Amino acid sequence: MAAPAMRPPLSMGGLSRIRMMASTPTAPIHPSFTQRASLSTSSVLLKRHKYVGARDNRDHSKSRGESAMRGTGTRWRLSMSDEPLPRPVPREKLPPIVTDPDHGLWEFFYNRERIVNTPEEDSKHGRAWSVEELRHKSWDDLHRLWWVCVKERNRIATANFERENQKLGFGEAEAAERDKEVLKTMRAIRHVLTERFYLWEDAVELAKKDPEVNLTGEGPAFTPKDYLEEADAVEGAADATKVPEADAATSPDPAAIPSATSTAEAPRL
Amino acid sequence: MQPSRILQALQYRRLRLTTKDVNKGYYKGTRTGSMGRHTRYGGYRIEWSKVRTYVCPSLDGFKLTPFVTKKMEPTRGVYEGYKEGPKDPKLYLARWKAENGLD
Repeated sequence: MAAPAMRPPLSMGGLSRIRMMASTPTAPIHPSFTQRASLSTSSVLLKRHKYVGARDNRDHSKSRGESAMRGTGTRWRLSMSDEPLPRPVPREKLPPIVTDPDHGLWEFFYNRERIVNTPEEDSKHGRAWSVEELRHKSWDDLHRLWWVCVKERNRIATANFERENQKLGFGEAEAAERDKEVLKTMRAIRHVLTERFYLWEDAVELAKKDPEVNLTGEGPAFTPKDYLEEADAVEGAADATKVPEADAATSPDPAAIPSATSTAEAPRL
Repeated sequence: MQPSRILQALQYRRLRLTTKDVNKGYYKGTRTGSMGRHTRYGGYRIEWSKVRTYVCPSLDGFKLTPFVTKKMEPTRGVYEGYKEGPKDPKLYLARWKAENGLD
């Protein structure tokens, strides 16, 4: 028999070794070995098609006499017939699935109990931000408002997916209306930021001609004219004398310009 | 190049350009940018330095929503004295002087 040579060199009991071999389908094992299961002890009975008293068919058909309609079962004994099969556990008896209550994916839903908001809830929204209102917001505020809009759109898209998935058949119009308002806000944010950038570019050009502004990066960037007239200023006249240099400063310091925007873009409201 | 008469009549040029309208070598793209490069063997190698990563800023304590109450009319700005209205660089400079003026 070739099978013993194929066995892995395990120092186990005979029964467990047979069980091991029966559970490894890749090893080329003799058919008589594959039929061995944990319960059966007789190899003779388990030989396929060769149980005691089996007649030889003339046509050598392997499934001679088997009929699904008559419920004959197989012609050979199944080794697992007496094995108690696992029973499915009812869903109520399963332990509850523990989830993280603060998981980030919850932000994709409006509600933890329901997958989709009712149309009444969906239509309870205000109007979009106007461009003029956003002009007074700082860069940080606009950045965060953009992400708030993104999250809102994610929630709407999740609800839309569920609505489609569950074939709920209501609420599409309200969700689309809500989405449209969010998109208007996002469009306004883009509008404001683009406008602000071009405005800043123009303002830098203007500042180059402004005698009050010093773009060289040395000394104070802005010295008001009426500041010169105040003799008891804090900084003194030393800085004030630098003001005429601003006219000569045609090429602004690249380090000074971005910082100028970042703070000028953040007005206190 | 002049499109044929029939295409002119159909306002062909007002249709968007597709890859079918031009000779080969035209790449229309999806406005998304590449995330890597093609290899010699026809594969594609992702370059993680080109893959976009979007970082959401911290939204703790941020109270603005995408919506404004409908009880409030959209506000209109007052830009008196500025020729170009909100797009006037003078306004920007004046605001900078008034609110920052430091850097």
